[in-house]
Amino acid sequence: MKKQVVVLIAKQFFKKTFNNKGLFVLLFIYLTILGYVSINSWNAFEKHNHVVEHHQEKSRQSWEDNPDKHPHRMAHFGSFAFRLQHPLSIFDSGIESYTGNSIFLEAHKQHTANFSEASLSTGLVRFGDLNIAMLLQLILPLIIFFLGYSSITSEKENGTLKIMHIQGSKIKEILLGKSLGLFFVSTLFFIPGLIALWSISFLEHFTANSSIVIRATLITISYLLFYIILCCITVILSGLSKNSNKALLSLLGIWLLFFIIIPKTAQVIGNYTYPNLSKIEFKAAIEEEVSKKGDSHNPNDPYFNSLRDSILKANKITDVKDLPFNYSGFLMSKGEKQSAIIYSNQHQKLIKTYRKQNRITNRLVLINPYLAIKNLSMSLSGTDFDTYVSFLSQTENYRYQQSQYMNDLQMKYISNKAKSSEGKVHVVGKENWKALPAFNYQYIPINKTIIKQLLAIVSLFVWLLLTLVFMSKFSNRFKII
Amino acid sequence: MYSILIKHFFRTKTVTLAFVLLMVLGLLSIGTGKQFLTQKQTAITKTIEQQQKHIETQTNLHKDDLGLLLYYLKFSFINNITPLAGISIGQSDLNLHIQNVTILNLEGQKYDTDLINPMRLHVGNLDVSFLIIFLFPLVIISLTFNILSEEEEKGTWKMVTIQGQSSFKFLVMKLSIRILFIFGVLALLFLLTKFALGIPFNFDFIYMISISYLYMLFWFALCFFVILLRKSSNINAIVLLTSWLILVVFLPVLVNNYVTHKYPIGEAFSMTIKQRDEYHKKWDTDKKETLDKFYKHYPQFTKYGIKEEGFSWLWYYAMQQMGDDESKLEREAMYEKIEKREALSKAISQFLPPLQIQLSMNEIANTSLKHHIDFLNATTKFHESIRLQFYPKIFDNESADNVNWKNYNPEFFIAQNEFRFFKNTSYITLIILFLIGFAILKNKKHFT
Repeated sequence: MKKQVVVLIAKQFFKKTFNNKGLFVLLFIYLTILGYVSINSWNAFEKHNHVVEHHQEKSRQSWEDNPDKHPHRMAHFGSFAFRLQHPLSIFDSGIESYTGNSIFLEAHKQHTANFSEASLSTGLVRFGDLNIAMLLQLILPLIIFFLGYSSITSEKENGTLKIMHIQGSKIKEILLGKSLGLFFVSTLFFIPGLIALWSISFLEHFTANSSIVIRATLITISYLLFYIILCCITVILSGLSKNSNKALLSLLGIWLLFFIIIPKTAQVIGNYTYPNLSKIEFKAAIEEEVSKKGDSHNPNDPYFNSLRDSILKANKITDVKDLPFNYSGFLMSKGEKQSAIIYSNQHQKLIKTYRKQNRITNRLVLINPYLAIKNLSMSLSGTDFDTYVSFLSQTENYRYQQSQYMNDLQMKYISNKAKSSEGKVHVVGKENWKALPAFNYQYIPINKTIIKQLLAIVSLFVWLLLTLVFMSKFSNRFKII
Repeated sequence: MYSILIKHFFRTKTVTLAFVLLMVLGLLSIGTGKQFLTQKQTAITKTIEQQQKHIETQTNLHKDDLGLLLYYLKFSFINNITPLAGISIGQSDLNLHIQNVTILNLEGQKYDTDLINPMRLHVGNLDVSFLIIFLFPLVIISLTFNILSEEEEKGTWKMVTIQGQSSFKFLVMKLSIRILFIFGVLALLFLLTKFALGIPFNFDFIYMISISYLYMLFWFALCFFVILLRKSSNINAIVLLTSWLILVVFLPVLVNNYVTHKYPIGEAFSMTIKQRDEYHKKWDTDKKETLDKFYKHYPQFTKYGIKEEGFSWLWYYAMQQMGDDESKLEREAMYEKIEKREALSKAISQFLPPLQIQLSMNEIANTSLKHHIDFLNATTKFHESIRLQFYPKIFDNESADNVNWKNYNPEFFIAQNEFRFFKNTSYITLIILFLIGFAILKNKKHFT
């Protein structure tokens, strides 16, 4: 293989593409939209996080402002966790619009995360999200197809392919050269997108634990691979087609199939095969299990009665009022522990079902590079399913600790004779409220994300290898005339 | 002549491919709708079963204390899903269709979302409305983009024009076959949907069908317009696909993005914090103050007076009530924002057929945002009526046995559907007429 020939053909393709005035118009429109989307998403992100931080502080403030109180009142006063977005959600908003933004955390009651953007939007939200990644993943491939569909067929139609071949350039050199040329043209379209990515990374790099630079680097590499693969595929298909018309149609068919139909169908079939419980059923399942295992709110519950009896025996007394600690605080902490375990089991089950639903999509990354880049881009931007699940489990952990903290206070400081949590008699000092640290959301560590997405990363490399091998080893498949 | 054209049409590979694609995805989308409806229906059946059971267990546990019993008792209010929702799932998959509320502070209870995989929401539903809005136009484009240009490129068009017959009539004949084919497939799809989902044949269903057909006509008109620009097949394909991309993929997300960012709803957070704070603060404030506010809201209960000492259910429920009452401003601000979103979306969408059709279908199927807001408002009324039934009983310390619990079955929300067919389709009709008229006028000299 001669390097100069490949470079020469690439250069020639690049120049020829620019003979078309339409390209400038297209590039101009594309860049305008990209600029609009970047600025808009950035503003929206700043606004959203500002609103979240403001409300997080407000909610914490009113928590700390509580006067001396019975701890169980505080356990029900509860706290709110508002979800902070990762700065890279400006680049790829992933499932952000569909995930709950606020969750109320109180004793022995698990609430759902509410007020997702989608739940407050009209039906239009279901058409999808506009962000930089959408332009890079969905629209740009189509542009690449438009730019490259006739790369080989036009040479065939003009009869110039024959001449090039007679002059000594091999088919694989022509294919590689055209792919390279197409890739150069496409850089004009995606480099601005990546510039937006890196500007976000530099300006928002102070966000704690966001490991933003590593993420941005990986995203950049993934997209580069993706576009190289796309350019090669475009040129290969153009080479295999009889005329430009057919090349265009088959590329459009591929776009429709790989970018729209397969992703959607895969998820639908996933949901169809593994349906999950609705909220009503989910709650009913938990309630049933709680009442089986023992309900601490039920005064006649056999489990908690036997627990009481064993404690009375151990302390050699006959009435719980004589215990050295507050019995109802103790009872609640036991009940909390039990119901939290039951809830967490059910919740794990639900998440497992979700994962099964996603499994088809996650495995299809092997045959569909679009799904690979989509998943990679989402998880590296911290806007994927795992990030959300991690948010939910962090809030549940916090809820549990908060409740048990209050139960401990009650056991220690509240008199065993207290009948009600009302009034100023049975209270603990308000300094205890401040002493409980506020909820602090942590992003998933980057190494975990990489391990999860290993299949997608590998599949991009495999695709690259396959296309290159196909071009060089099977060049006799391509007809010159 | 016609029969030859029909034969010719059905021999092309594109037709078979289009038919198979539409049918396979059609069955899948009907399946999606069916599964959706069944899941929602199962939840409704379970809720109806469970309510009496729930009341029974709770009344056994707390029969001596009605105030405590009502702290636990939940009452269900159900938004009955119409079979049409299986065609256009809209927003009804993420919004809860069953409210399970206690008579405590309502605002903390009613905004729960249903459990649904966010990844699924992200890729969107594959329901019949998606098929109609997204895929049918592509099929129409692939069947019609070259009906004139192909003849010109192959040189057969000249033969048509010299054969004496009106060449315009010939073109219309070719087009009409495609229209009939698409209309037939769509009819078949609706027929299958009707039987699979058990949709009654009523006005709503007819509206749904009519706007779908109108939408098909819009795409045919657009194709007709582009065809008569008399460019090459390649250019036609690119122009039509770009229009599809802009109309169906790009503009909807742009419009939604614009609407969401224009009206961000931070008020939802303020409201939810406020309703918590206002209730809990009352534990530490003067009882008289709380009760005075409560009596101001419900003068009919003033007779229960004010008892400053110790805990009473009257005071407890008055506190709970304050959570709702004193977050009213924030709540109204939130609803106002939602209404603004709704109005702006509608105003923009009426000029853009795909958006207009999606919103209309959701509206007909009672799966729109507005419908959900109506349901939430009805929930508030339902909640209020339950409250007013039990408040006096609790305040009078009545026994739980005096209540006829058998009467407390889940209630259903009766939706007011105000879909106006002509108002929602006038712009599309105008656009269609304009496209056809313009195309004909421009080509008048070619077709005489």
